[in-house]
Amino acid sequence: MYTITKRGLLHFVAAGLLGAVGFGHTALAADYPTGPITMLVGYGAGGQTDLVARATAKVMAGELGVPINVVNKPGAGGAVAARDIAKAKPDGYTMLFHSNSVINSAPFIMEQVNYTPEDFEYAGMITAYQVGMATQKDRPFNTITEYVDWAKKNPGSSYGALSPEARLYITEIAKQNGLDVNIVPLKSGSEMINALLGNQVALAFSGGIHYRYPDELKTVSALTTFRHTSAPDVPTIEEEGYPLGMDSRTTLILPKGTPRPILDRLAGALKAAETDAEFAKITEAANIPIKYFGVDAANKEMRDSYAKNKGIMQRAGLISN
Amino acid sequence: MRRANVISGVILVIFGLVMLAVVIPMQINPGPDGMMSPRLVPGMMMGVVIALSLLLVINNIRAKATADDSVAPISRGEIRALVTIGVIFGAAILLYLLVSPLAAGAVIVIGALLALGERRPLVLIAMPTGLLTAIWFLFYKVLGTGIV
Amino acid sequence: MSDLLIGFQDVLHPATLIWVAVGVTLGYVLGALPGLGKATGVAVCIPLTFYLGPVAALGMLIGIAKGSAAGSAVSAILLNTPGEPSSAPTALDGYPLARQGKAQKALKMGLFASVIGDFVSTLVLICLAAPLARYALLIGPVEICTILLFSLTFIGGLSGNSMTKGLIAGAMGVFFATIGLESETFVSRMTFGLLELEDGIALVPMAIGMLAVAEMAVQAGNVKVLDSEGARITDGASRNDRVVLASEWRRCLPVIARGTLIGSVVGILPGLGASVGSFLSYGATRKASKTPEKYGTGMIEGVAAAESADNAVVPSSLIPLFALGIPGSVIAAILIAAFILHGLTPGPLMFQQQPRLVADVYAAMLCASVILLIVGYTGQRLFAQVIKAPLRLIIPGVLLLCTVGAYMETSSVFSIYVMLFFTVIGFFARKLDFSFVTFLIGFVIGPNLELSFRQSLQLLDHNAMNLSKHPIAVVFILLTVAIVWWIGRGKGPAAGERHASAGQTPEKHVPTNS
Repeated sequence: MYTITKRGLLHFVAAGLLGAVGFGHTALAADYPTGPITMLVGYGAGGQTDLVARATAKVMAGELGVPINVVNKPGAGGAVAARDIAKAKPDGYTMLFHSNSVINSAPFIMEQVNYTPEDFEYAGMITAYQVGMATQKDRPFNTITEYVDWAKKNPGSSYGALSPEARLYITEIAKQNGLDVNIVPLKSGSEMINALLGNQVALAFSGGIHYRYPDELKTVSALTTFRHTSAPDVPTIEEEGYPLGMDSRTTLILPKGTPRPILDRLAGALKAAETDAEFAKITEAANIPIKYFGVDAANKEMRDSYAKNKGIMQRAGLISN
Repeated sequence: MRRANVISGVILVIFGLVMLAVVIPMQINPGPDGMMSPRLVPGMMMGVVIALSLLLVINNIRAKATADDSVAPISRGEIRALVTIGVIFGAAILLYLLVSPLAAGAVIVIGALLALGERRPLVLIAMPTGLLTAIWFLFYKVLGTGIV
Repeated sequence: MSDLLIGFQDVLHPATLIWVAVGVTLGYVLGALPGLGKATGVAVCIPLTFYLGPVAALGMLIGIAKGSAAGSAVSAILLNTPGEPSSAPTALDGYPLARQGKAQKALKMGLFASVIGDFVSTLVLICLAAPLARYALLIGPVEICTILLFSLTFIGGLSGNSMTKGLIAGAMGVFFATIGLESETFVSRMTFGLLELEDGIALVPMAIGMLAVAEMAVQAGNVKVLDSEGARITDGASRNDRVVLASEWRRCLPVIARGTLIGSVVGILPGLGASVGSFLSYGATRKASKTPEKYGTGMIEGVAAAESADNAVVPSSLIPLFALGIPGSVIAAILIAAFILHGLTPGPLMFQQQPRLVADVYAAMLCASVILLIVGYTGQRLFAQVIKAPLRLIIPGVLLLCTVGAYMETSSVFSIYVMLFFTVIGFFARKLDFSFVTFLIGFVIGPNLELSFRQSLQLLDHNAMNLSKHPIAVVFILLTVAIVWWIGRGKGPAAGERHASAGQTPEKHVPTNS
């Protein structure tokens, strides 16, 4: 069975025979794939990323003509699954579908994670996360600049943060403008929505799910380098003079050393999702924009975003080196 | 039960002290200013455990002897069962890592059957086969997922 | 109302009804198998929802949720291995009843309590979803913090025969729950460099080890005694042991009503979780009883209290989802994915844009309650036969299922390590009479209490005077003080050392041999 990964001692042996293994794969790559593929997802079943992963797996399985088994392997925001992928056999039969933030920002935030983009191969990207700042519809500010003015007049207001990045944004903005903001820790996206709808916080960091509540909530800023498809009139944080835009995209991540023909084959199958009607229906309902990148574009995006995020975290004093 | 209470109380006090003096300072960073220290809650809990365990020890030493004092709360059979289960799972995990999940599953069922005194060959073959087929069907056919 | 009638017409279509029935049956069987439960059911249903129509998919998902909540009582009663923490209180009195030959009676009571709790809570959902959810939003972190404090004190005060040991177990539960990444400071706590511990100890493998595998170890150590006893008691010598008597109904109905109320309220409130409902209900029933010392020896009311609340939580946790689009439970979060898959957005707009679909889902839920009664009633006759099977055949199967159940959520062998670690802790807790129920409560409530306290500090701007803006919180603080005073005065049932204990394995029939 292809899905059974060899571990422990066998890894040692495999690593020792790296040259031979690499050679064997170019021969194999010609008729790849011949058996079922395992697709790891670094979040639990039922979340946004899982939803997109399953829809992607369905399209790709049709294109490749083999079943794709989706395996949820949650832990440390995907870092556990990424660690497993780094150690897996580079034969194209085990891959990880995950937000690239596990590689381009987790290493700066978690002590025990220290990957670089060079530790993996990428077979493409398919959707982008619309990370932003959201507030209640009736608040008197529509941009970060207006929020800063409002917060100066209302010291002690609350901001909902559910990740170290979320905290970074508000501390940077507060530092530059001398604001007095209380940062309320939140555990999950649904808790964030609860806090916003219940008027507990005046502003909150959102991974994009606030777009599901167009009647109650509005977007104040896009925390990405691009404007959001769901709110094209809202300026990005960079447009307002804070160079803090950090992008994250769902990416097909494979072990280092996976042969290029296999990556291209997977990228070709992934491209089919870009125009697939059913895939579009699902992502549209979840407010997730499709932004397809092939192998080369994905590689460039990984390296660029890694370097950029590293700079942002260094300036914010989160990392020293 | 009185002796057991004293012993478990002493063990808990030691556990609490080790956590409080070694593990918490080593394993939890103090955290930034202006927020509740991340060490506060674990430390508080260990404080509670130490205080209550001391109370447990003192109360049981001072209490009068009762009839059931001579009976140990854990029988040899029970300890043996716990160790046996540990050995079976140890073997299963080794097999899982080195051979395959299938072998691991088979060892859990067959090992436990043998340990509990089941010797009929039919049962020893049929039960793991049936259970593992059902699990394979659930994972690979119904769920479309795999055991990796 | 007319919408609901149309909904029934849609749902009573065989093609839809059959999927609801499949969901309920699947959930019930998974729940009844020790080690498996809601988590497994959820994993099963996600891929299936891709292929079904919206009503069939949602009906099936809700069926699984309802079925597994009721089914988990079966393994709790027959084998003393609750598959999920929320049915741990069911085992406290259910298992002693089964050992007394009254397994069928306990199973029936559990089923009836489940169905009543479920049905009434569904009606609450239908009638009051929109207005209740608006009020639930008033309950912010400050209020949740005080409610949790109250629950912890209340349940803790009722714990076991040895108050000291119960509190130690509770503190240990809170302690183990602090492992992992703390959500405010983002500091890792006691992870020993293990990435898998960043998210903390997962509840499912921990509960399976502590509740099911540890119990199997104890039973394996007493296999001869238990088997010879099992052969002697067999099942229901007289009819009175197999059915629920009218006198028992009279005693249990108020208990079920209270359990349903507690379960519904716990379900609506964000962040409390299913286990709190059944623990609170069991605790309240014991407190209200004239003979609290008999609990833990086979009181049918204990089963009714735990099960009615356990099932009432399920429909009412959907209230925030339907009315506001906020998932209140794991099942609700999965339902959101299913809704989105079919191009719908859960939330208030759903009532205006898709009134027919909402009516269909409501009708499917009511049908699921009735199907649950039928499936459960037929199923429990079969499951009750388990008690006749020798333990040497049951234990290996249960061990395998527990392993699979622990593995499933994270697809990782690390979960098996967690399960085994807590097997050892659970084993000694059982034998030394440290209540594992208070351990679980500490584990479940502790982290939420810490986080909501941190949130409250920020929301109140570090100023206690700001509490005056939160009257609900003030009420719960006063209630907590009253509970502490009441326990302190020695009027509480936990005062003094008694022999009946919440959390003690009913091991009275098993003579120790050394």
